[in-house]
Amino acid sequence: MNAYDATIWGVFILIGLATTLPRASFIVLGNRVTLPSVVQRALRYAPAAALAAIVVPDVLLVSGELAPLNPKLAAAGAAIGAALLSRNPWLPFIAGMGVLLGLKHFLG
Amino acid sequence: MTIFSSPGFRTGAREGFRAFLPLSVGLIPWALVTGMSMVGIGMTPVQAMGMNVIVFAGTAQLGTLPLIAAGAPLWLIVATALALNLRFLIFSAAIAQGFRGLANGPRWLSGHLLTDGVFATCVTKMMETEDKDWRLGYYLAPSIWSWLLWQSFALVGVLAAGSIPRGWSLEFMATIALMVLLIPMARMRPMLVAAATGGLTAVLLNGLPLKLGLFAGIFAGIGAGLAADHWHTKGELA
Repeated sequence: MNAYDATIWGVFILIGLATTLPRASFIVLGNRVTLPSVVQRALRYAPAAALAAIVVPDVLLVSGELAPLNPKLAAAGAAIGAALLSRNPWLPFIAGMGVLLGLKHFLG
Repeated sequence: MTIFSSPGFRTGAREGFRAFLPLSVGLIPWALVTGMSMVGIGMTPVQAMGMNVIVFAGTAQLGTLPLIAAGAPLWLIVATALALNLRFLIFSAAIAQGFRGLANGPRWLSGHLLTDGVFATCVTKMMETEDKDWRLGYYLAPSIWSWLLWQSFALVGVLAAGSIPRGWSLEFMATIALMVLLIPMARMRPMLVAAATGGLTAVLLNGLPLKLGLFAGIFAGIGAGLAADHWHTKGELA
């Protein structure tokens, strides 16, 4: 986390722009511009695709190799199970971190 | 004399706040987790709170953390943030009529503060109401409340994370948070196809340099989602 200490603020500002500009877009422009419906439909899928593209490699791969039996995948399963079975917003974090730390502890 | 002290604004603000208050409790775990995750990848408390104030978006913050931690190239970090934020284009378009008659200043402020929860709470009433001061109050009160909650509880997370040992893998909380965000989306068939395709593509192309697999995954996911949507609709018509 040292190499980019000086540039990290620039990264924050660019992520901030990539957030505020889409948010403010039509609120500021008003109804002078409208999105074609194909574009609107395509945009709906971007968050799901991006979230999965970040998360799935993180839990399936260990140093670049497919590892179907790693603690992170088990922890992910526990977190998803907790999220599906309970409305408690804390439970996925407790279950996921519990399984991850438990397995890491016992597997050394 | 400003719009903010008009009676309409005040009434709107009170009603908007009351409508949003119960929902706003849901922000607290997210803010805590985001605060802890930022420190988890090695940010100092000042950097973490700086990001929290500048970006003010849980999904974009949590989603870019793994990339920042891995030292991914800048353009990929920004492109990922954009992909995660594209839904706001749709929200912004949907709620734009609610700001009719208002000046550019309040519009930019409102735009910066647009969140999923406030959008869902405010969009209908803002369309129906005539008084523009009332509309702005109804939108800004819950927005500013969200902002305060988000900053305060992220700070609690940042400070709490500092006293937790590195070996506890706090950075995994960001991954859990992203999965929890994904689950309600994946309940819709085309959205599930988009997610599965995006995830699988990113895994298969993981060997590509510069984390290009992630970028390919986003595009493949959008394409697959559109295709699934197309067939889905056709099936219903047949």
